[in-house]
Amino acid sequence: MNSPPRPDPLSRALADWRLTPPRNPQFRTAVWARLDAARSAPTWTGYLRAHGALVAGALMAAMVLGAWSGHARAHERDTAARAALVADYVHGLDARWMRLP
Amino acid sequence: MKNLLLTFAIVMAACALSFGVFYAASGAPAEVRRAARERDAMAWMRLEFKLDDAQFAAIKRLHEDYRDVCAGHCAAIMAAERRQAPPAEVAALEKTCVEAMTTHFKRVAALMPPGQGGRYLAIVLPRIADFDHRGAPNVQVRP
Repeated sequence: MNSPPRPDPLSRALADWRLTPPRNPQFRTAVWARLDAARSAPTWTGYLRAHGALVAGALMAAMVLGAWSGHARAHERDTAARAALVADYVHGLDARWMRLP
Repeated sequence: MKNLLLTFAIVMAACALSFGVFYAASGAPAEVRRAARERDAMAWMRLEFKLDDAQFAAIKRLHEDYRDVCAGHCAAIMAAERRQAPPAEVAALEKTCVEAMTTHFKRVAALMPPGQGGRYLAIVLPRIADFDHRGAPNVQVRP
């Protein structure tokens, strides 16, 4: 004859477990405060409207900086390529360079 | 904070876009850049000094003729070095080479359109001196 299964101690512990969190009387008020704060946060378009001059200035400065550095870098690139080409050209006609290993 | 970061990102993107557009559009014309990239000195000369077909053909012929002269100088210098000739003899051969090269460049310049010959000489003649400081060749092209 089989004896009845012994109850699992973990199941018994889980069955007996009761959680009683402390009551927070400010909970509801805090939730509403956070909702209100999120609702009143400015949108990006609102932010742009509020800081229009600053954003336009920063955008203009960034574009001028980008254009200037792009132009300077292109000039540098062309100067270096041209210098290498001229050096190749002259050295190709210079017997003193030809004999170098 | 989120709005500030978004604005900053857009400003940075505008800066990068502006850099890219000006980097691609500025500088030498595309043909000159291509010649420089392919190390095609003759194509570069044609574009840089605005040579017409007749001038280009004459300069090309002059260069081809000079290559034989140059090879002769090279052989003479190497032979002198091989037999450990006195430094004065090697220096004299190098001087002959420099003089021949200078004359050749002046002949090339004479075949160029007015104004371009002087510019060509101002670019190439200082390069002859590069040999004096082999370790650090001059990378500046002034005119």
